[in-house]
Parts: sequence; structure tokens; C-alpha cells
Amino acid sequence: MSGSMGIEDYLAAGGQLTSPANVPPRYRGELLRLMASFVDSELAASAGFATVINTAPSTESRIAACRIVLEKAEHAGRVLALMGDFGADTKRYETHHDWAARLPREADLGAARWGGDMRLSVFHYPLEGWADAVVMNVLMGLASAIQLDELGRASYAPFAEAIREIAPRERAHTRLGVKALPELLADAKTRREVEASVRYWRPRVAATFGHAGSARFALLRRFGLRQRPNEALLALWEAELREKLGPYGLV
Amino acid sequence: MSRFYPLEVTALRRETRDAVVITLSPRPEDRGHFGFVPGQYLTLRHVIDGEEMRRCYSICSGPGEPLQIAVKRVAGGVFSTFANEGLAPGMTLEAMPPEGRFTVPIEAETPRHYAAIAAGSGITPVLAILKAAMARSPRSAFTLVYANRELSTIMFREELEALKNTHLERFSLLHVLSAGHQEIPLLSGRLDEPKLTELFRLWIDPASVDFLLLCGPEGLMLTAAASARAHGIEENRIKFELFASGRPGRLRPAPKPSTGVSAGRSGMHEAEIILDGVSHRLTLRGEETSLLDAALAAGVDAPYACKAGVCSTCRGRVLEGEVEMVANHALEDYEVRQGYVLTCQSHPRSARVVVSYDQ
Repeated sequence: MSGSMGIEDYLAAGGQLTSPANVPPRYRGELLRLMASFVDSELAASAGFATVINTAPSTESRIAACRIVLEKAEHAGRVLALMGDFGADTKRYETHHDWAARLPREADLGAARWGGDMRLSVFHYPLEGWADAVVMNVLMGLASAIQLDELGRASYAPFAEAIREIAPRERAHTRLGVKALPELLADAKTRREVEASVRYWRPRVAATFGHAGSARFALLRRFGLRQRPNEALLALWEAELREKLGPYGLV
Repeated sequence: MSRFYPLEVTALRRETRDAVVITLSPRPEDRGHFGFVPGQYLTLRHVIDGEEMRRCYSICSGPGEPLQIAVKRVAGGVFSTFANEGLAPGMTLEAMPPEGRFTVPIEAETPRHYAAIAAGSGITPVLAILKAAMARSPRSAFTLVYANRELSTIMFREELEALKNTHLERFSLLHVLSAGHQEIPLLSGRLDEPKLTELFRLWIDPASVDFLLLCGPEGLMLTAAASARAHGIEENRIKFELFASGRPGRLRPAPKPSTGVSAGRSGMHEAEIILDGVSHRLTLRGEETSLLDAALAAGVDAPYACKAGVCSTCRGRVLEGEVEMVANHALEDYEVRQGYVLTCQSHPRSARVVVSYDQ
């Protein structure tokens, strides 16, 4: 047993941590930031989807929307509990921000965080009706599958494990959206809405992958919190889009 | 906020020359707080020489046994030395309710094969899981590879032998000793990659393992995890609990506030922000701007999330000067005493402050 290795070397070599007691200070900050970004995005996504339940065109789609609202909130709660292990006040955290708050549709945030929370910028834009919500759900769902696959390899094992449990249910949310597409595309009017929504959401979802050559990525990789650079994940998503939406002539 | 409860030391048992097993008893009214899942740990608080110490120790008790932890003396470790030399029955330690996520499902009706690779005091949470698996899941099996320096440093040696004799068909135990010879060459020497490969070939069928528990110092964890993956044990079947050799030692005492508590000319304050070893100097209007916002405005990529004093992502340590926190819903008193602040809620009070995100 080589007992002389430091924790940072251990992490750089692919080691994993399970306890807040072992976590170096800088690692702690970056890990909490990653977890907060996940929690805030899920809470904001859940709150945003709640507003479209009443636009759902059928009982089945209404149930699908409710399920997405319910499960995304539940996913947020799981990771928030892990933040609580580090001292976060989880009760206050849930209410410290208006998760349903949105900016105007035409706002342009790029990849920047905005306001007092860490949600991905895409969750600051409002949904406009059912077709728009379906498109956003599919585009962002395909993105988050790739992003969660990445976080599921993070060196903080309790977080990685939670994400690996969450990921299949998130993928199911995307499938609900993909399933709703053919009906929307069969009608000329809703097809035009879908096409406009794809044009609207595509660059905004792309921005959630962050900048190419990110300096933070280098730090996160050294800590084992990330593995593959932003641009590589973005390229995976572009390929997914072509595969899933190409057959419909949407990309 | 975490809460501490008094636990009476009801028994002490010397386990090896350097390790002691401590039996702890909560007050009757606190018992409800001290149920635990095997694999969890206690955070203990004790004041030694006027300084508050907090240390985490895994619970090693099995089902129905009183609350027990084992403390191995580490060189220069203030608390572990105290526990091994200064603690006596009748004394009181304070502890938070059990915490930790180094746990596995153990069910009566579901037979599982648990395997564990532990080293030194890394045995403690594994022992709790082992005892629970034997007691609660009558058709489950357990394979333990336990690495130590020599025979005399093996913790719980007798207890493990007794468990093996009681559960001969279900519990298989291998001691690997780095110093000193054993009859079987595989069991002598460091637990390195070739040895692990042999173990997976001869003793542990990777395909049969439902959960692999790894508990020890950094080097062993890396080697064992790599070997397990190479033998086809997927990530979600491996559980890690690092027993770091380089555990954080005693923090330097909190800095004294500098004498110049008044702000500089026109309410401006000087701040030095240290992040990733780089020092950034900036000035800010202390009443209006938090240290975090000033740092972010100066292009410092400081960590933060809620900006509401709730999540503690932006925690930093004041190394010089004095700051005031507007709100604090995340840091505990002992952290504040050590100089930690939530930078999103902190405003300088002295003319100059130095804050580090690296400590």
C-alpha cells in the first residue's frame, strides 16, 4: 500500500471520494457548483413544464407532462440532499429562488448564468405552448442524456451514483417527447410551429454545453469531476440530433 | 444545521497496540437519533487544549450490538492519540447522528455476494456491513481480502476468525500481510496489481460479485478499483470509502483581526483574493459589494451557486483582516471560528482583507 499519495494526486489518477470529510476545499466548491447547477436546472425545468400541462392536447400527453414535472422535482431533491451533507440548508435552498421565473423569449444569454441561481441558461427562456414544450423537451433531453452520462462518471461517488439512477428516467422523459412529435408533424400548422421551435431552441440548447476550451474544464478534469471537454459533448449531441430528428426533416 | 449529542464512553477495548474500540452510549432520550445503516460513520466533537476537534469514525457494530467505533492512532493525530491514551470509561464525547453513503442493500430474501478489499483501519465500516450481511441475509456470501502490515496490526482479528468459524460456507477471509511471511506466497507482500489479478482469478469470481467494497488509503483504492474494472466489475457495483493517509491535519488557528478596522479613504477596501494559488488584488466599496461579487467583477472565477448564504459553495477563509457576514445559513459556528465565511454574504470591515478559496 502506498500511503504517501495526496488526495489531489489520487483524484487525478481517477480515484473516487464518498465523504465530505475527505474533500479538498477547491474540489468542494466545484463539486457543489456542479450539484447546484443540476438541482437548479431540474427545479427550473420542472417549474417551466408545469405551465404547459394545461396546453397538453390529450389525457395521455397531460399525464406525460405531469410525470416530467413530478420526476424532475424528485431528481432535484435527491442531489440537493447530497448538498446538505456539505452543510447546505436544503429547506431554504428549495425556496430561495422563484424557479418558475423566466426572462423574455427574445433575451440572449448565451452560456451565461443569470440572476441568483445556477440553472443552465436555457431554463431562463419561457415555453410557448405545447409544440414548443415538446421540441424543447426533446432537444434538451437529448443534450442532458449526454451531460448526465458525463456527470455519472464524476469522482464524487454519491453524486455519480445518484446521476446514474436518475439518467434512465430522464431518458424516458425525452422518449415521451419523441413519441409526441409525429402527431405534431402530421398537421401543417403545428409542423410550422415545431420547425420554428427547433430553430429557436437549437442554439440555446447548444449553449448549455459551455464554451470550447473552457478553463474550468481543465480544473474539473484534474479533480475527476469531468472527463470529456465541452466541445466533444456538443459534437455528440449534434450527431444525436441528426439521428433522431433527421428522419423528420427537422435538422 | 448539524446537531451534536453527548455519548458516554461505556467501554474501551484495546484492539491492537495502536487501535482502540470505543463503545458509546447515547442518553435514553437521544437513542432515536443513533440508529445507523451499516457502513455509516459518526462525526465526533471534542475540545483538546482549548481547540475544537472534529473527526469522522466509521461505526463497526453489527445488528443488535451497542454503538462502537474503532480509532487507530495516526502519527501526529491529536484526536486519535487522545482516544488511544486519554480516554476512559465514564467520559463523554459529542457526536452527530450517523451519516455516510458507503452502504449497500442487505435483504433477508435476496442472496448476494459481497466482496471487500480493505486495508488497516479501513476494516471498520466493512466489518459492520459484514456482520449485518451475515445476520440479516442468511443466504448471502461475503469474501473479505484484508491487507495489513503484519499479524499484530490486524484489527478485529479474533472477531473475524469467530465470524469465519460461525459462517464457514458463507464467509471467506484472506489476510494479506505486507511484511512477514505466510505459507501462501499470494498472501504475502503488497496488495498490488499482479496480486489482485491472482485474487480475482483464484478467490473472487468477479461475475458472482454483486457489490465490491473498497476501503483503505489512496494507492490501494486506485489499484483495486482499476483491477476490479479490468475484471468486469462495473462502476455501479463498486463502493468506495477512502481512508485517506493524508487526512486534513489541524487547521492553523484563525487569524487575528488586523488593527486597522476602519475602512480606507471614501469607504473603499482593499481585498486580496486567493484562488488556485493565484493572488488577485482588488478594491471594493465594502458596504455595497460582497467579496464574491467583487471577485467575480474582477474576473476571478470563484465558486458560487445560490448567492443567498444557503448552499456554502462560495466558502472561503479569511486569512487577514475582518469581514462581516450578512447572512449565514450554511456554516457552523466552529467553521466561523476557524475563519471560514460565505463570500457571497461577506463584506470587508477592515481596510484590507485577504481571503482564500484554497484552504
